Amino acid sequence: MNFDFTDEQYQLRDAARDFFAGECDAAHVRAMWAHETGRSPQLWRQLADLGFVGLTVPEQHGGLGLSEVDLVLILEEAGRAALPEPLLETTALGVPLLVEAGRPDQQAEWLPRIAAGDAIVTVQLADAPTAVDAHIADLLLLERDGELHAVPSDRFSATAQPSLDHARRVFTVEAETGPDTRMAGGGEAAARAWDRGAWGTAALLGGIGQRLLEMSAAYVREREQFGRPVGSFQAVKHKLAETLLVVESAKAATWYAAYALAHDLPDRSEAASVAKTYAADAEHKANYEALQCHGGIGFTWEHDLHLWLKRGTALGPAYGTADAHRSTLADRLFA
Amino acid sequence: MDLNLTDAQLAFRDEVEAWLAEHVPREPLPPSYTEEGFAAHRAWEQQLYEAGYAAIHWPRAYGGRDAGLVDVATFQECYARAGAPDRINVLALALAGPTIMAYGTDEQKQRWLPRIASCEDIWCQGFSEPDAGSDLANVKTTAVREGDTYSVNGQKIWTTLGRFADWMFALVRTDRQAPKHKGLTFLMIDMDSEGVEVRPITQINEDPAFAEVFLTDVRVPVGNVVGAEHDGWRVAMTTLGFERGTGLGSHVRFSRNLQDLVALAKAVGAEHDPRVRDAIARCYVETEVYRHNMYRTLTRLAGGKQAGPEASLNKLFWSEMEARIFETGVQLMGPLAELTAKAEVIADRLGDQAELWGRWQKHYWYARASTIYAGTSEIQKNIIAERVLGLPKEPRG
Repeated sequence: MNFDFTDEQYQLRDAARDFFAGECDAAHVRAMWAHETGRSPQLWRQLADLGFVGLTVPEQHGGLGLSEVDLVLILEEAGRAALPEPLLETTALGVPLLVEAGRPDQQAEWLPRIAAGDAIVTVQLADAPTAVDAHIADLLLLERDGELHAVPSDRFSATAQPSLDHARRVFTVEAETGPDTRMAGGGEAAARAWDRGAWGTAALLGGIGQRLLEMSAAYVREREQFGRPVGSFQAVKHKLAETLLVVESAKAATWYAAYALAHDLPDRSEAASVAKTYAADAEHKANYEALQCHGGIGFTWEHDLHLWLKRGTALGPAYGTADAHRSTLADRLFA
Repeated sequence: MDLNLTDAQLAFRDEVEAWLAEHVPREPLPPSYTEEGFAAHRAWEQQLYEAGYAAIHWPRAYGGRDAGLVDVATFQECYARAGAPDRINVLALALAGPTIMAYGTDEQKQRWLPRIASCEDIWCQGFSEPDAGSDLANVKTTAVREGDTYSVNGQKIWTTLGRFADWMFALVRTDRQAPKHKGLTFLMIDMDSEGVEVRPITQINEDPAFAEVFLTDVRVPVGNVVGAEHDGWRVAMTTLGFERGTGLGSHVRFSRNLQDLVALAKAVGAEHDPRVRDAIARCYVETEVYRHNMYRTLTRLAGGKQAGPEASLNKLFWSEMEARIFETGVQLMGPLAELTAKAEVIADRLGDQAELWGRWQKHYWYARASTIYAGTSEIQKNIIAERVLGLPKEPRG
């Protein structure tokens, strides 16, 4: 009975945290807001060299062959840094989907390239209105009419759909699918990918909530009114204590979902729903309290707070809204 | 990360499950605040003791079996799942006992601990007073030393099972000149002493489950001090830290509440109302997340780390969740919610689930006490904000 990470997993987390602190600080995220593609091939290359991109790629295809439990803390760090790159789509979703549902030739073609940092994957599952980063993706994994397709970039076109988070680049896609793009697996594999999307988004949201909390706590320790730090007032303290409670709890739920997915437990889908609905609500709480605690300065374009406020707002409903996941869970409770 | 139990832990779980299946009373015991109910609960405790389950986390020397924390959690999970009777000596097992182990003399350990494990002695807690609630250090009960004894005068309140307790572990003021936190002493008071008067207090839900205790010139031997004289605040804070282990396995209780909530919704025909379904799913999500938090706490504690402010996070989480679960059940009853299980309308509408509603309504009020006792939610939030987030302390009087 051990609900904790290994020293190696923490080392990987620390490496991600240090890397993001240096290479993906607020200034970088802000630069990506105004950047043409919003993406940094150099940053992606470094992420691949550090092993993060190929983390879930099986070893025989050149990856580390690790699981959701190894990945979850890195996704949290990616959320904490508001990383613009499609680590969720490529590493948390795309790779396992190729492994579970890809034809052997599709796996052989794409997995080594992904692990090497030479191919970026995006995913669009049935209900999603858009696909993230389709403009730079080499491969689109697409669910259409209950079928899964692996569509290379010369077989789909992408039309930009501006997001409130300018570091997010989302697109509608037109894909030319056919027997040659069809994957071996279908609806069942797509459902499992959806669970992974829900879980991975929960991990990102946990990291975003964490960052919002850190920024808010730091601010209210410094900001003085009535001759003392505003963080000494219980009205402010209690907001942030409540936020800490839900953000930390969201992490625990997300870790459990990672464990359930990695071990293919019978409650894997439920665990992913629990994590996603709870993490979305937790981030929502952090989002509101963070702006409230920052007051006027947080409402300015110049302050970095809104980089995270908007990422959280964008990701909250991704891979199933909190309401939708609760509805799914209620169906099981009353079955 | 590995949530599997070892073979030895699985064997222990099987043993506990088998024993409980054979021994847990089929019918619930009468309430522990009645004479009859108290006797029945004490008999059950003694049955647990004889089977070796009364204090599994205690050392063998004092009647325990040196169980690890994973086994403690397993035992508590099995116990809750089996619907076994509420433990009446929790305060002694979880608070007084460990405090005696940490600060007591050998003589004190031999004198008190085995009788706690065997449930020969029931203990109550003498911390709260009319003017010492959240501001616990404001204790006014005095103990004036006269030779080898103290003369104790004052009043304790909200004393659970005060009517039946044999002993009280109390915070008393031994130095009135010293600053608030410095003049307190941790003192064990024999409830049979002359000058101890216990008056039951009827609770909001009509149960007389707690009491106020008046102490008038009560003679207490100096040998009943645990820790050093005037060092009671530090001892008491250690005591409250021992509450850490008591929540392990408690997620099973909330999962059972959740099952009852689903049953209640079905019984009253509200299971297709989307608002009810959403509210219940919300509660379900919380019970699951609480379970995950418990895994985290158990792992920390089993690894030899202190619970620290995590105890405040857990208390805040479960008490607010419990209140919401019971609130949800009351809400889904709509205008029926004011009726007790004795009302004919309830019997007509709920059929054989009327009894469930009776329990629910009573528990609803207990759930509203959960955010008050053992440190209010507001106090827990102050602790979290100051000790985890490092926010500045508010100026206090």
